[in-house]
Amino acid sequence: MDIVTGYIIVGAILFGLGLVGFLSRRNMIVMFLSTEVMFQGVVVNAVAFARLHQNLDGQAYGLFLLAIAAVEAGLALGLVVLLYRVRGTLDANAWSVMGE
Amino acid sequence: MTPATAAMVYLLITLGAVGTFLLLPRSGKRMAGAGAVFGTLGLLGLFLLLLIEIADIEETGIYFAVFATIAIASAARVVTHSKPVYSALYFVGVVLAVSAMLVLLHAEFLAIALIIIYAGAILVTYVFVIMLAQKGPSAIYDQSSREPALAVLAGFLLAAAVAGHAGNLPDRPRAEEMTALAFVNQASAQLDSAGNQAEPQMGNTEAIGWSVMTKYVVALELAGLLLLIAMVGAIALSRKQVPSEVAQEPRRPVGEVGRTAEPF
Repeated sequence: MDIVTGYIIVGAILFGLGLVGFLSRRNMIVMFLSTEVMFQGVVVNAVAFARLHQNLDGQAYGLFLLAIAAVEAGLALGLVVLLYRVRGTLDANAWSVMGE
Repeated sequence: MTPATAAMVYLLITLGAVGTFLLLPRSGKRMAGAGAVFGTLGLLGLFLLLLIEIADIEETGIYFAVFATIAIASAARVVTHSKPVYSALYFVGVVLAVSAMLVLLHAEFLAIALIIIYAGAILVTYVFVIMLAQKGPSAIYDQSSREPALAVLAGFLLAAAVAGHAGNLPDRPRAEEMTALAFVNQASAQLDSAGNQAEPQMGNTEAIGWSVMTKYVVALELAGLLLLIAMVGAIALSRKQVPSEVAQEPRRPVGEVGRTAEPF
């Protein structure tokens, strides 16, 4: 097994675990924490491919991923606080009926 | 990757899927003990597999196996823990283990940036919101999951599909034959195709700076613009007056929390 293969497997498992959390958890904060776990898997993959291709493109891409993650966290948490102020709960199922 | 290794990877991912399914919070009888056994078996198998396959290729392989196991175990707890504060704390474990793996890949700048931005900034924001919005010690919606079987199937099927084909890499110069410095030097030499004379020896931070400020300068400006838009958006969201649909709790005096009322 190449060393890069090992990193790709680890990144894929991290991404899959984050996906499981996002799909199955009901707490909105934990759902967005799971997306951060998915981001970690993507960063591992990007840097592993930078290693495979012997250049820095993947690492620069990881830097932009960090910026996107910060944007996502700021907006998502603002939205979660807004939704919490309306319904008084963090349960995502409280918002399962749209268009009211 | 030999077929035997691929079969082993599929087997371990199946073990992990069963363990995660049993560990996810659910109402009614919860088989967390069996889930922990399955998950530990899968993790132990993955650790040994990575150790056997990689330790003889590269001398830092044992560290990679250790940190990969820590990252995956912490990620599983982030997803399956029924208390959000603990999920956030386990996420710190994921970030630290991932940045250790990045150091092993000679991405030192990104590793430090990951710790500063994630563990220092993003995590603190999450913990703030959890403290703000969490009411009781354990809410009802943290004790159950939506469609855990389908979610586990989707997530681990994706992971198995990617991991099973991770061995089909294109032929490139093998990275493990190069030292860290040679790796960075070659990367920085690629930057200078325009004819600029670079320093013969360049650290990882400097090389990334060259890359971001020359090749990706438009993307860098766009990222700054995106951060500005997100800042404006977050402020607009938090200033918005919304009608509350729930009865307001009476405000408690400050000293009461912790003595007569449960703090958290």
